[in-house]
Amino acid sequence: MTPHAEFVHWFFASGILFVGLCLLSEAIVGREVWQARAWRKYLWPGVAFSMGVLLWPVMAFFTNSAIHMYAHGSWAEVLMLAGGAELGLVHGRLKSQYWRLTWPLAFVVSGTAFIVHEQNPWFFARSAFLHHLLGWTFIGAAVFPLALVWRPRSPVLRACFALTICVVAVQLYSDRDVAPIFGHLSPLAGEPHR
Amino acid sequence: MRRFALVALLALAFPASAFAHATLRSTTPHFGKELQQGPKTIELHFDQYVKLFNASAIKVLNTNGKDFAYGAHTQGTNVVADVRALPTGAYTVRWQAVSADSHVVSGVWTFGVRVPAPAINDAYGAGGPTRTEDIVRWIWFLGIALAIGALGVRLIVLRGLPVPRSLDRRIAVAAGIGCIVELQAGVAAFSLRSEDALQLSFGRFLYGDLSPMASTRFGEAFITMTLVFALVLALVYLAWLLDRVVFFVPAFALAVLVVGGLSISGHDGSGDPGSSWKTEIADWVHLTAASLWIGGLATMALLLWRSAPELRRPMFLRFSRMATILIVLVLAAGTYMAIVRLPHLHDLWSTGYGRVLLVKIALVCLALAWGAFHHFLVRPALERADEGFLSHIGRSLIGESMVGVAVLLVAAVLVDSKPPPRPLPQGPSALRIPR
Repeated sequence: MTPHAEFVHWFFASGILFVGLCLLSEAIVGREVWQARAWRKYLWPGVAFSMGVLLWPVMAFFTNSAIHMYAHGSWAEVLMLAGGAELGLVHGRLKSQYWRLTWPLAFVVSGTAFIVHEQNPWFFARSAFLHHLLGWTFIGAAVFPLALVWRPRSPVLRACFALTICVVAVQLYSDRDVAPIFGHLSPLAGEPHR
Repeated sequence: MRRFALVALLALAFPASAFAHATLRSTTPHFGKELQQGPKTIELHFDQYVKLFNASAIKVLNTNGKDFAYGAHTQGTNVVADVRALPTGAYTVRWQAVSADSHVVSGVWTFGVRVPAPAINDAYGAGGPTRTEDIVRWIWFLGIALAIGALGVRLIVLRGLPVPRSLDRRIAVAAGIGCIVELQAGVAAFSLRSEDALQLSFGRFLYGDLSPMASTRFGEAFITMTLVFALVLALVYLAWLLDRVVFFVPAFALAVLVVGGLSISGHDGSGDPGSSWKTEIADWVHLTAASLWIGGLATMALLLWRSAPELRRPMFLRFSRMATILIVLVLAAGTYMAIVRLPHLHDLWSTGYGRVLLVKIALVCLALAWGAFHHFLVRPALERADEGFLSHIGRSLIGESMVGVAVLLVAAVLVDSKPPPRPLPQGPSALRIPR
């Protein structure tokens, strides 16, 4: 009764893309303009936190392998943590900017989870390639949210952070496409299916 | 570099087939089925092509470990093995296959021929709960007790009192920590139980198929509790963020509703001897009352006693009244379940389950004596008590809650233990033997 894995990937890719586009808009128009309406400051942190909550059903229902369960669980936790910390900061409940360290932490944990749960080399198959790419994108791009902790008003850093999230969304959309055109980099990857 | 750029571009631009770990879609016979006739073949249907790990990729094992399967072969996305004629009995199927991404995926399930299929934890080769599992289950209990106790104290004991917002936030943090502990311990307990059933090395276990375990009572309880406590965590977070105690109400209701999953997930995972809807309700009442009592006591002693000195007296008096009701519920439900699970009095000292129950009863008696001291001696003296006396009481409350924590440890061992089998009913049916 569980939905196809690709639908779940696309659902979360849409959420991540939405967060990325909100961040990009905020980077372009500036934080003051973006937060001119009170609800907008809660928008992307709220979506991030909600996606964290919604990843728990993914962890619980997709038990076809233990390592996927752990990866989904770790993403649920770091998204709830980072989204929750951001909500606390914009609401004024949290004061210290160091709470924004939860974002680089989330990036590093997410990237590590992608790389650890993919044990094939880059060019083995398309999903292997994209898992590695997603993992290293997260780990490499963790430098942007990390730098934002000390330079929160830098438009370049904000734009880079936003673009990283958009790129991750695109990679996630591509990770689970099902048309059999490209996916046989290695003969060991098997025959086309579906 | 050009190759890398080309591959990156193609991967993102063109749709393609995604190869991931093979997923078992269905099996013949299905998980946990009781069959009237032994199957001629065992079939595993995957979502993609797989390769055979070795000739004995599928094993059909009886309770003595004898393998009844012939060599396996692939048919499209299926792996099929012919099976010798199976006599009446319980069988375990263990399988391994190589996924398209070269990972070895593995799994296990059980079925019965003219007898009920054994629980997945009773699969051939599974060793049953270990001490590590007991400890993890204890931490699971503690997390749930903390979440329910903190929320219950705020909604029941502190109801109508002038509670400072900072205290509400601390209560939310305590409940949130309880939820996080519950989520982590739940995953660990599910993994340990699955690892025992699968009997794989850690490396292979990571790619082991846990779906048969997810379809057991233990798995269903784990899934339900994980989903509900993730929601409870979100509600508690909102209460902390927005300073709205109202979010505690659905959080508390949801946590209390699913606390029975702890016992459903225990024992052999398929129901204890004599189980019925009455024992399940009794179990739920027992667990809810115990969680509220022990968790509430710990919250009051460790968190509120120092943070809100002005609330100590009313809090103590109200908690004392609530604890009286909770203890009555704990004892009534516990006694009923002990009678159902231990049909003879001598089972208390002649079976392992009974002996663990005796230890638990002793610890509960200690906690009750401590509680009675608070109720009958401390409570009347509270009106004229000075600060020094109240701080001594705080330490005494910590002591009582530590006894409660010890009770939960023994309860964790008890839940992982198997009650003795019930005697067969007298009469002709008792003489019937399986064919």
